[in-house]
Formats: sequence, structure tokens, C-alpha cells
Amino acid sequence: LTRLKRAALGAVVLGTAAIGAVYLAAFVTPERLAWAPAVFVLGIASIMVGMMVLGAASARGIGRLALPFAFVWVLLVGGFAAVFMAPAADAEGLWLGLPPAAAIIVYGIGLLPVLVLPFAYALTFDSTTLRPEDLERVRAARAAMEQRAAAGEDA
Amino acid sequence: VIQAAPLPPLAQPVIIGVALVYFAGVAAIGFWAARRTRTARDFFVAGEGIGLWALALSAMAATVSGFAFIGGPGLVYSVGVGAMFLVLPAAITNSMGAWVLAKRMRLLAEARKLITVPDALGARYRSRAAQGLSAVAILIATAGYMATNILALGLVLDAIFGTGLTAGIWIGMAIVLAYSASGGILAGIYTDMLQGALMALASVLVFLFTLQSGGGMAGLSASVLAADPEWLGPWGKLAPIAALSLFFVFGVGSLGQPHVVHKFYMLKDPRRLRWYPLLMTLALILTLLLYFGVGFAVKALVARGELAALTRPDDATPTFLLHYTPILLAALVFSGVAAAIMSTVNSFMNIAAAAITHDLPVALGTRVGNELRWGRIATVAISLVAAVVAQMSGTLVALLGIFGWGLFASTLVPALAIGLNWEGATRAGAVASIATGLVLTLALETLAFLRLMTVPQGVTVAGLALVASTLVFFLVSWATRKTAGEIDEDIRLVMSV
Repeated sequence: LTRLKRAALGAVVLGTAAIGAVYLAAFVTPERLAWAPAVFVLGIASIMVGMMVLGAASARGIGRLALPFAFVWVLLVGGFAAVFMAPAADAEGLWLGLPPAAAIIVYGIGLLPVLVLPFAYALTFDSTTLRPEDLERVRAARAAMEQRAAAGEDA
Repeated sequence: VIQAAPLPPLAQPVIIGVALVYFAGVAAIGFWAARRTRTARDFFVAGEGIGLWALALSAMAATVSGFAFIGGPGLVYSVGVGAMFLVLPAAITNSMGAWVLAKRMRLLAEARKLITVPDALGARYRSRAAQGLSAVAILIATAGYMATNILALGLVLDAIFGTGLTAGIWIGMAIVLAYSASGGILAGIYTDMLQGALMALASVLVFLFTLQSGGGMAGLSASVLAADPEWLGPWGKLAPIAALSLFFVFGVGSLGQPHVVHKFYMLKDPRRLRWYPLLMTLALILTLLLYFGVGFAVKALVARGELAALTRPDDATPTFLLHYTPILLAALVFSGVAAAIMSTVNSFMNIAAAAITHDLPVALGTRVGNELRWGRIATVAISLVAAVVAQMSGTLVALLGIFGWGLFASTLVPALAIGLNWEGATRAGAVASIATGLVLTLALETLAFLRLMTVPQGVTVAGLALVASTLVFFLVSWATRKTAGEIDEDIRLVMSV
């Protein structure tokens, strides 16, 4: 298990535990806890980015994907933090037609990742995700298995 | 969360005409595909022969049910920006799914010729229990999804053709069944392409009309802010934790939706996955424009006094279309609603039939003789049961309907999405996690539905079950870590590349 995968798994476990803690706290006290949204956001960001790292990591690491993954974590944590600090909604200070906090939600968290992640996936596909030689290794393993099965039947 | 109340009558010649043309197109594709379905692999995984566009559009069409066109805009109208948390993760989930699952699932098909999602669990953990339990979870969730979707299809057909609800349910079911039972997923994929394209086109056009009706985004915002500023707040009318719970369940839970994940097996060339996240994400976002646009526009128009306040939020889309768009576009959207429902139903029919004729027998240590024939028979049987349930009991449909997404998420995300990427996951961890998700979701959703238990504000049963099944997965895998190396060599290879 590489150090990278260990870190990704740690992020998924801690993120899930964080969300579990918020849920548990909601059962214990009916009051709205000030810390709960922040912990929940950290949990979501850690799970999602942790899962992406876990899926993308191989013996070769994740290479240039570190940057887009870090971007998504910062966007989620920073975006939701900015929502809490955004100015109050009024018709004079709209951002692209929406009040600032709603604009951060819709355009920032809801759209910005589209400009980064799918392109990161496509541009690193050959080097990080699926090299032609990896596909050949899987096909060769399949062929070897079929040969062994056929030999077994003949015997 | 899908259409469960009647729509306003829509029986106008143009709407009926467009719907008939649409159904004729679906029938033609179904007939074409049925002639090419010769084996069980054709029936369940389209012979591993589809292209990238077919994969992306059919995955999108299966993801988006009629909810995105009717119930979704109604939810936006009711709770404002908070409703967006259900669809916001779409910007991330398709890329995340590509990294986490697409390559591994497609390579599993290459290595083992697998045809179902429980097959992948059985192969990963060398466990018939994991395969059988996940098949049971899929069957229960699918029953709920199918009953609610067929009820929704009946309501849409009743509104368009004035058939009455009962006839609408049976006619709708018969249409989907005709191409699903004869052409299997092959027919489903190619009808989904038509349906996905129709949904995206209709959504984009309606979005442009929503902007025109309200004077652009700024005009819509100004109207809403004057009447109800909380609606345009960052969480809308939801509590922050409730909105974030939606983001969590629909974001992370997307990794456990078998009707989408299963389609990765079908791609002809694994290297075409390169552009899958981009195509799928764009198609999904275009299709979801209507979800946001109509809810927002109707809220603004009501705030300005140009429309009367809606008595039922689900009337948002029909009301907007009939008042603010050309009748031809309205007709296209109503056909799009039927398309969205039919494409989802078809996918569920197929995975449920596979669970019955393939996964459960394998879990019990046996195989059915002719999987193609039995797959067709199972498809018919499941559809008949779902239609009877949809027609018989509103309460039962409502109860079944709430199991869907959360049950898939809690039973499949840990064992499948994490397990295919972590060699430390064990068979015991997977089985315990699937069982935890299954029992918790069924028990808590039923108790909450029967009002025997109250869930605190902001907490969702789906979220709770997903957290619990994930933590159980890690804990039991850690406790049984001595067995973690029990992975077949070819599966280990798929997990390592």
C-alpha cells in the first residue's frame, strides 16, 4: 500500500467519521451547532477528494493530478467558507445575476469543477489512468487463463 | 421524490402528435435492437459493443428520471437554492466515478466477462454472499424505483392522452416492456440515446425561455429578492446541514448506482473512456438547466404577480410551459418527461432481471440454463409486479420509493467503490457493510415512514446508512486484515493498473 493510498484512505475514513459525528450530535441535541456545517464540509471535501486519489493512484502515483485534486478540495472548503462570509443578498450587488452567496454555490461549487476535472482526466488518461500496455497485460492474463482452462479440459 | 400527483390535462393536438412521433421512434429503435439481441451478453451488457456517445448519453438518461423535469423544478420553487444541493455534485461526480470505477469495471469485463455489478463484488471478494446480498439490495431498491417511475409514467400519459391513470400505467409499462424484453439493454442503450438527446435539447430551450420570461438572471433575482430573500440565500429554505446532507448523499452516493455503473461494462474500447467524464457531465448539466430554470422563473413570476401561487409545487413545469413557451416546445418537454422515466425504468428492468436470473442463482451455487430466455421472462415478471404495485397502493409505492438511491449508496459504495481500489478490504468487511446498509436503510426508512421514529432536522436516513456502512466496512476489514490478501491474480492486476 503506497503512502498516497494510505493518505487517501485516511481522508475517506476521517471524512466519514466527521459526518457521522455531525449526525450523532444532531440526535443528542436539538440545537443548531455552530461547528457542524464546517465539520460537515470538511468531511465531504475529504471523502470526495480521497476517493478520487484512491481511484487514480497506481504504483506510478498520481502525477500531475495532484493539482486538480487539490483545487477541488480548496474549492469545496473555501467555497462553502466564503458562503458564510458573503455579503447579504440585495438586488444591487448581484454576481452574474445571483446574490453573492448563491452565486458561489451555483457557479463556483456547481460549475467550476467542470472546467477542471474532466479535462484533467482526459489529459492524463494515457500517462496515469490506462496505458495501452496495462490493457494488454489484462488481456494477456485473460488469454492465459483461458489457455489454462482449455488445457485442463483436454487433460 | 418523483411525480406522484396528477398533472394538469395536456391533451392538445400538437402535444399528442409529438408524443406519438416520439413513441414511434422508440418503437423503431426497439425493433431494430431486438433483431440484434442474440445472446445473454447482448441482453445484459449490449455485447460490450457500444461507443462513447452511447455510453455517456445512456448513463445520463438513466441517471435523470422524470423527477428532474417535474418534481425537481417543484422542489426548487418550494425551497429555493437549497434544492440545488441535490444536483450540484454533478460537476464532480462523473469525473470521480471515472477515476474510481469506470476503468476498474471495464477491465473486469475484459478479464472475467462479467455482466452485473454483483458479479464484480463476487469476483473481487471471491464471495457468493457478497454477490447474493448485493443482488437482494438491488432487487429491493429496483422494485421501489420501478413502481414509482411506472406510476409517474402513468400520470404523464394520462395528462397527455387522457387515458386515465390505470390505462396510463399499463400502456406505459407495455411500451417500455416491449423493447426491454425483446432487445434487453441493447435496445435500452439506443433508445436512451434518443431519449437523452431529447431531454438535453428540451431542457436547454426551456432554460432560454425562463431567462426571457424574467428579464435574465438579474431580473429573476430582483423579483424574488423583493418578495422572499431567504429563497435566494445560500441554503434556500433548508437548514445548512440538510442542504449539505443532500450534497453528501447525492455526491458520494453516485458511486453506488448500479444502473449507471453497470454501463461501464458495455463500452467497446476501454480507451474511449478518456472523454467520458466531459461528455457525461456536459449532457447532465444541460439536462438539469430546466430543473433550476423553471423553478426559479416560476418563483419570480409568482413574486411579480404574473402567475398565481401554485397550490402544488409539481405544477411548476406544466404551468410555465403552457404559459410561456411555444406549444411545440411544451410538447417536446412532455415527451422528454416520458423519455426520462422510460430510460430509467428500462435500466432498472435490466439490472433487476440480471439479479434474478444471474446473481441470485450464482450466489446459491447454480446457473440457469438459458440466461437470455430467462432474462426476458424475468423482465416481464418484474414489470408486471411493478405495474400492479404502482396501481394498487399509493402507500406502498411511497414507502418503496424512498428506499432507492440510499439503499444503492449504502450497500454498494463501500464494498464496490472503495473495495475495487483498496486491497486491504476483506470479504467479511464487504459482507458486513452490505448487510449494514441493507438492514439500516430498510429499518430506519420504514420506521420514519410509519412515524415510529423521528430523524433530527438535517439528518437523512440515506446519509446515516451510508456513513454507518462505510465505517463498518473499514472496521471489519481492519479486524479481519489477515485475510486481506485473498484476491485472485487477475483481479489483483485489474486493481493495480
